[in-house]
Amino acid sequence: MAGSKGKKGKTGLIFFPAFDWAISPTHPEREERLLYTRDQIFEEGLMDLPQIEEFKPRLAELKDIARVHFCVPDVEAQVTEAHLIAAGSTLTLADALESGQIRNGFALVRPPGHHSMTVAHGNRGFCNVNNMAILVEYLRTKYGHKKIAVIDTDVHHGDGTQEIFWHDPDVLCISFHQDGHTLYPGSGFVNEMGGPRALARTLNVPLPPGTTDEGIHYVLDNLILPILDEFKPDLVLNSAGQDNHYTDPLANMRFSANGYARLNEKLSPDLCVLEGGYAIETALPYVNTGIIQAMAGLDYSHVREPDFEPGRFVQSETMKREIESTVAQVQSLWDKRDDLVDVALSELGDFYRRRKRIFYDTDMINENQEEAVRLCPNCPGYTTISSQGQRGYGTLNNVYCISIPRHACSDCKTDAMEEYKEHIEDRKYSYVYLQDKDRDKYLIYNVRTRNQKSY
Amino acid sequence: MLIGIDVGGTTTDAVLVEAGQVKKTAYVPTDHQNLLNCLLEALDQIIAGVQPSRIERVVLSTTLITNMIAEGKTDPVALMLIPGPGTNPQDYHLGDDTIIVKGAIDYRGREIQKLDEAGAEKAAADISARGFSKVAIVGKFGQRNHAHELKAGEIVSAAIPNAQIELGHRVSGQLNFPRRAATTMLTAATKEKYREFADHITRAFEQRRISCPIYILKADGGTLPLQTSLEMPVETIFSGPAASTMGVMALTPPDQTSVVVDIGGTTTDLALILSGKPLLSSKGARVDSLLTHVRAFAVRSLAIGGDSAITVSGNCLAVGPQRLGAALCMGGPTATPTDAMRVLGLSGIGDLGRARKAMEDLGRQLGLTPTEAAQMVVDAVVDKIVSEIRQMFLEWEEEPAYRIWEIMQRGEIEAQNVAGVGGGAPPLVPLIAQRMGARPIVPDYAPVANAVGAAVARPTLTLSLRIDTERGEYIIAEEGVTGKVGDRKMNLEEAEKMARRLLAERAERLGIGEYAGEAEVTYSEVFNMVRGWSTVGRLLSVRMEIPAGLLTGWERC
Repeated sequence: MAGSKGKKGKTGLIFFPAFDWAISPTHPEREERLLYTRDQIFEEGLMDLPQIEEFKPRLAELKDIARVHFCVPDVEAQVTEAHLIAAGSTLTLADALESGQIRNGFALVRPPGHHSMTVAHGNRGFCNVNNMAILVEYLRTKYGHKKIAVIDTDVHHGDGTQEIFWHDPDVLCISFHQDGHTLYPGSGFVNEMGGPRALARTLNVPLPPGTTDEGIHYVLDNLILPILDEFKPDLVLNSAGQDNHYTDPLANMRFSANGYARLNEKLSPDLCVLEGGYAIETALPYVNTGIIQAMAGLDYSHVREPDFEPGRFVQSETMKREIESTVAQVQSLWDKRDDLVDVALSELGDFYRRRKRIFYDTDMINENQEEAVRLCPNCPGYTTISSQGQRGYGTLNNVYCISIPRHACSDCKTDAMEEYKEHIEDRKYSYVYLQDKDRDKYLIYNVRTRNQKSY
Repeated sequence: MLIGIDVGGTTTDAVLVEAGQVKKTAYVPTDHQNLLNCLLEALDQIIAGVQPSRIERVVLSTTLITNMIAEGKTDPVALMLIPGPGTNPQDYHLGDDTIIVKGAIDYRGREIQKLDEAGAEKAAADISARGFSKVAIVGKFGQRNHAHELKAGEIVSAAIPNAQIELGHRVSGQLNFPRRAATTMLTAATKEKYREFADHITRAFEQRRISCPIYILKADGGTLPLQTSLEMPVETIFSGPAASTMGVMALTPPDQTSVVVDIGGTTTDLALILSGKPLLSSKGARVDSLLTHVRAFAVRSLAIGGDSAITVSGNCLAVGPQRLGAALCMGGPTATPTDAMRVLGLSGIGDLGRARKAMEDLGRQLGLTPTEAAQMVVDAVVDKIVSEIRQMFLEWEEEPAYRIWEIMQRGEIEAQNVAGVGGGAPPLVPLIAQRMGARPIVPDYAPVANAVGAAVARPTLTLSLRIDTERGEYIIAEEGVTGKVGDRKMNLEEAEKMARRLLAERAERLGIGEYAGEAEVTYSEVFNMVRGWSTVGRLLSVRMEIPAGLLTGWERC
């Protein structure tokens, strides 16, 4: 059984509200966001309960970020101390989990991360770097985990996490969310299901606006939990957004605090990382209390929003059928995942290439990418990304990124190094990156100054 | 003239201080059956030949409340909780005499569910029928809005005439409902007996014609007039370690970082003074099985001392945690660190022949010479104390933090001094200090440092002010006072000014007005409340404190 179910020990908690950090004074991602949550969980005395242990956050190292992202121009430019602390909190809990000090853990931290993609030219969807992806890569590099499942329970599609693990068959990314027709980031449809070698290891469950506890638990019980049983990951991680709540000002779902608590009880993730959630008074204090209790195996039935009555939201028959049909579609993709991969690979040559356009809503940046993955018969294959960031009519940066996967074969390593040597001479690019996950070494080459920097 | 008396676990110590100097000391064995008698005996010894009118102040530190709780001699209390939504109150394990009443206040002090008055009446009748005369009433977020606690108090008061009722918000303004409940319960359970004790003290002092103010020492190293302390008896628990720490502060150079090591026969207590300020535990003290809001020094106690029994298994040696009696060299039954220190010439206490015999026996089991065995014992003791000190520093560094600057700023700290008090301190402190790369200090009055600490400690006081400018209200939890605020854009500076004024008023009422000038802001925060895209108000919190310190005029040795 994956996840923390049946394990003994405490629940680790890091509460880092970043009371001195905001995107801007009136932005939803501002100092006040976790204030009432602090008041509630401190007043509840949760940190004193024998089932819970509070930890002090630490700063992630720049290398932990470089293991996931190509930050343009460098990591220092994309992260503030708050980002390093939020990411570092997840790593502190990872260490505590691996040492057996805790049974499971919740990083109740901000700023969030799940909209950040592999290349980071700026902030998109309130995120600069992807805390969850940084956690996943840390767990694999430091502790040698192979298969990891990331369940994104934020109301927005976890498009950053999806993009980062797109080609990786060992990271199962499942995101349920309000559908992309009606909500940012406008993606996360059923047909987005991963790269040719990892088809159906990315699964998306778009849900209609107004989906209730009943609908979300239907998805959980009939799709997510059975798939996890089959996938048998080493670890289950929850990208725990709280904006499916019925009072969230940025979305339109009807999920309750009790629904969130029950979800975490059933999913029993090894680690939870806070993502979004902006009903700072009406939802967050109650949702967070419920999630902490559920993870710690405490009774959460007394958690209730002041205006909530069981049965307040009833799902229509139409909505029910719509959700059932989406679940059936996703289920069938999962069932034929191996066939999908075989068919895709039979139609492709040595490389798989695609073009992408990425919009950074917070920083108003347009990015154009050309990605190539080597479909190597002996290893996961190296990847290259040529990326151009533009704001308005001006080009910000034109960069070339090379990634060597863990357990890369010697051919891929040699070819990737060749690519690096070749591109650092190419004046078309301002920066060239080499992400060597196999040796855990990360290089940035400034083409103009001819300086190389490493993490 | 100042008098300090500390009723400790084994002895009751007293000192007389005049013109910044310790003039006289006294020791009396503590009689746990009659704390009052031994306190007065120590007092009588110290005031023998002293004009009562020359005594300016007396400070008492007693284990009364600690003992009362440890021995289960507290009064029965019914606990009425108004928990609202959140944790199942049963998960707090606050005892069987807990009654839940419906009603809820939220984090901003808004009523989100009306108090179930009929339910409260029924609960009150039930409490009365079960014969309780003491009731603690605590609501979640009662410190942000005490209306429900007040109303429930009225209901209980009507149902049980002459009931002693304690309301949660008066006990602490801090967040943490279960701790507030526990602290309120303990207050209700100890108040009456504490008052009896205080009355005896007052009468005894009158009989001796001592008319100066009498103070009591609290767990946070501060003093409180005896009369005022009647309202908050629980604050006087654990005053012993606080007394020792204040004593070390009084007897060592100012503004330095020191480890306080109090080495007794059975246990060693550790405390920290960081840049001249005693370190308070970040959360309140644990009293028996209950976590409270009582502010106390961060003290760590380890079961090792001069009389700890030494045991050998195989070629491993263990010191403590048992104490079987005095050291062999003092006529006791077993080999102890005191014997080892005697053999090494680190101390001159006890019979050398017996000590040698103890180490010879030990050496035979371990295949060592007596001197080598003694060295091994002393090393083991020093190792254990040093590793515990390191752990304590580490814990301080690992305290959770909620702001970027707190995380960026808190680095490693190192002790400048290792200051020892207690019988085992003189031989061991230099060894501990050497290992820590710090300066050893064993003050002249180390054996009575606790009584000195009591004698020269000044009052402490806390006030928590919370302002919600959108709701146009302020509340001072400890005072149970609310008021109106007109300025929506009030800033932190104005809030701090207001807190300073309110603290001065509170200090005046509690009889310690002269110390209000020492108050400092120990915590403050301000948040803009943004609804939609505009600022609708501010939430400001200020905690103002007169911190632990020494009386002015005390000359440090």
